[in-house]
Amino acid sequence: MYEAVIGIEVHCELKTKSKMFSMAPVTFGCPPNTQVHVIDMAMPGTLPAVNKKAVEMAIRVCHALHMDIDDLLRFDRKNYYYADLPKGFQITQYYHPIGKNGYLDIEVEGETFKIPIERVHLEEDTAKMTHNDHYTLIDYNRAGIPLIEIVTKPQLHTSQQVVAYLEALRLILIYTDVSDAVMAEGSMRCDVNISLRQSHDSILGEKVEIKNLNSLVNIQKAIDYEIERQTDLLQKKLPIARQTRRFDEKTQTTVVMREKQSLLDYRYYPEVNILPVRLDKQWIQVIQKQLPQLPEQRRQRYQMQYHLSLQDTMMLLSHKDLSDFYDQVVSIYPHYQTICHWLIGDVRAYLRQYQKKVSELLLVQDFAELMHMLEMKKISSKQTKQILEFMILEKKSPYVLMERYHIQQVSDEQLLSQYIEEVLHDYPQQVADYYAGKHQICSFFVGQVMKKTKGQANPQKTNELLKCLLEKRKV
Amino acid sequence: MKVYSIEQWHDGLLNGTIDVSLYYQQLQKEALFQQKRLNALTTICFQTPPQDLIFNSLLAGVPYVLKDNICTYQIPTTASSRMLKDFIPVYDAHVVQRLKQENACLIGKASMDELSMGSTNMTAITGPVYNPWDTKRIAGGSSGGSASLVASGLVPFALGTDTGDSIRRPAGFCGVIGMKPTWGLISRYGIIPYAASLDAVGVLTRSVQDLSIVLEKIAGYDFHDMTSSRLSIPHYRQNLSLDISNVKVAIIQNIVDILEDDRIKTLFQNCVSLLKKAGATVHNITFSQTYLEAIFPVYQIIANSEATSHHASLDGIKYGFQSQGQNLEEMIVHTRSQGFHPNIQQRFILGSLALKQENQEKMFKKAQKVRRLIVEDIQKILKTYDIVMIPNGDGIAPLIEEAKSQSHTLVDDFLIIANLAGLPSLTLPCGFVDDMPVAVNLMGRCFDEQTVLNCAYTLESMMPYCRQYAKGERNDV
Repeated sequence: MYEAVIGIEVHCELKTKSKMFSMAPVTFGCPPNTQVHVIDMAMPGTLPAVNKKAVEMAIRVCHALHMDIDDLLRFDRKNYYYADLPKGFQITQYYHPIGKNGYLDIEVEGETFKIPIERVHLEEDTAKMTHNDHYTLIDYNRAGIPLIEIVTKPQLHTSQQVVAYLEALRLILIYTDVSDAVMAEGSMRCDVNISLRQSHDSILGEKVEIKNLNSLVNIQKAIDYEIERQTDLLQKKLPIARQTRRFDEKTQTTVVMREKQSLLDYRYYPEVNILPVRLDKQWIQVIQKQLPQLPEQRRQRYQMQYHLSLQDTMMLLSHKDLSDFYDQVVSIYPHYQTICHWLIGDVRAYLRQYQKKVSELLLVQDFAELMHMLEMKKISSKQTKQILEFMILEKKSPYVLMERYHIQQVSDEQLLSQYIEEVLHDYPQQVADYYAGKHQICSFFVGQVMKKTKGQANPQKTNELLKCLLEKRKV
Repeated sequence: MKVYSIEQWHDGLLNGTIDVSLYYQQLQKEALFQQKRLNALTTICFQTPPQDLIFNSLLAGVPYVLKDNICTYQIPTTASSRMLKDFIPVYDAHVVQRLKQENACLIGKASMDELSMGSTNMTAITGPVYNPWDTKRIAGGSSGGSASLVASGLVPFALGTDTGDSIRRPAGFCGVIGMKPTWGLISRYGIIPYAASLDAVGVLTRSVQDLSIVLEKIAGYDFHDMTSSRLSIPHYRQNLSLDISNVKVAIIQNIVDILEDDRIKTLFQNCVSLLKKAGATVHNITFSQTYLEAIFPVYQIIANSEATSHHASLDGIKYGFQSQGQNLEEMIVHTRSQGFHPNIQQRFILGSLALKQENQEKMFKKAQKVRRLIVEDIQKILKTYDIVMIPNGDGIAPLIEEAKSQSHTLVDDFLIIANLAGLPSLTLPCGFVDDMPVAVNLMGRCFDEQTVLNCAYTLESMMPYCRQYAKGERNDV
């Protein structure tokens, strides 16, 4: 059998306010060529000025990936001609990446793997081209947006590992607050390098690069297909061509984009218009200190301290705003499980419905109070649902809403007993059934009490009293 | 038309002896006359109506020209290349903004060698620029238009750029003062580059005083240029001094020795005597012959390597000249083959070759290492000496038909050291040979423009060449 050797390059757009080397704003969805500075168009005479925030964001990611940070910031030119490259070269960090030798732990089917990360470097995005039959349109809004490239060592071996790595990396990019990292929108892009070898120590086969992968599903399919394709070729003793391929969704296969006979010579050399910048070591430390808690640390806290299930934990973690909100709510009332269930259940449904962030829909304090009332059995879960809906619609505290809509729980035993007596009186046949041993009929009586109280009876209390009264009657 | 120094002009404005609008009418006529004679302008613009002048600055109302690789908002900036023949920038270079704030009046853009690559000013798309002292001769390049126009008396100052000797060579040929300041003193934002690590914006004038005034106004930090210095700018003009008794000057004897023309040697020795007379300590020293011979190849490799990537943006897609093609790649190839002169293409090819992966170690990186050695050597000299003085080339401006773009001697090459090391370097006329100007060059320590200016100021005060100009005979129109 053959072993696949896979290396991953991820390009991630940073959500800075302005571009990597110009003051044009970084925005998405604006009309083409409206977010462009003369620098982005490479107008003659323009010079780059490094965006400090982008450097800070790169350092954040470096910290999160345990990289060695080079405190002498240097840039290089990558020279090639292409219509989407305004300057005829890209400013990148070839010789001295800002981060080196890091790693990321991933988990596949209960087994942990340490994925070594070779480098993290800063660079700039190209313009966006739209090809039509007889012409090509170029939008320079994207030109110059800061990018970081994160490159693993070729030490992944299965498509499952790749997917787990990308999922974990995506969370890190989101939790370090440097990017939206949405693959479908191109703010996180992935290239896969894959080759096969006979056994663990034999020489690597020819490398194939798969580009333009826009979803985890496609990445998995592309890798699996590619392993199959290369295995087939090797078994038939056919050569594997060094190629760049892409995943074709129609045929669910990888197809050739271009043959890579020899490596392109990018004639890298140091960028002369940016002198090396000595980064303040203290600044780098402050960035590390201010780093928000990362997904891995949160995962441990949720599972070990709060005893959330793995599934619930992952659900929370995959929505950073929910996880942030959760952390704030549980710091007020530590009802870990209840709060988690409501957030990933009802609240998440609302978020999807309104397409908003949780902080835009709910106040931490209000939601915490609601959860606390539920936990203290002051309200039923049905009432909680009701109040939650009002809270989202009216942005009022649960107390105000309960008063306004007369929502409260009847727990008064005398009053409840009175309602129960009435129900038992009204349904003698069912009472007889109960005595005949049909104990599940209890829920029918509780339902009737609910109807009488318009849902405000405390169901648990009602149930208890009901049983008590039925037993009393029996005697 | 009367020719003024900047100070005379300012005084004239203040005491009302200058009628600005009348002067500008004459100036316009004069510009057309000099254009016929010298072919030194690529655009005549007279952009600011000088009626409502506020005399807020010494430069208020002062007419000037810019080398045509300095971007000017809504005014063509061609770099004398077919590639940018119809290019109109949408922004001002930093130095242009600064001069606008001073209310100086741009009257035209000056011809240059195509993309600053040349030393004759014969390669401009608008044709050669002529020397005002003898229009059968070249003005020199690449800032030839700027030097020629200042020497003609049309404007008191012009801006140029200098990558190897591009301000100092034409200044020497045209008998004006030209200074390439320290790399990083003046923002390069808006300058169409030749080679960023060597390029500097500089000033050409007819007096050290005028040069000091302009330099002070355009120098200083600009956030657009990360390589511009944050040091505060001294008051060069106010600090001008004739006391150079503390200044130690080194003469590079092995450069002086190779001068072929004894008349130039004599004029140079005269400058040495004048410096001594003014109280400076002058020593003869020798510069390593090996390094001297390495200067030009090192320069060629570095300058062309940088140039090839600086100009990769000229692909016909976004602006400038555009040719046709079956596909994008073909269009780019056609655009660049037709837009650049073959000489320029040759330089790009050399630069690309030096950067190629298999050559980089033995060409580009080696050139960088040798550059470092040369720089360390000159800096060692400047530890002991404040000023290094050499002849500004070893001949007068050649006749048009004799001028060759790539001709250079070791004397010329020494000027390039100022670019390799980023030093301030000033060229000053020191006499005439065959009725053509001859010059000396003074180099100083980085950011010590003042000492260079003071030495030049002292020499100037002892020689009759200050404020000279060659207006041309009216009857040769």
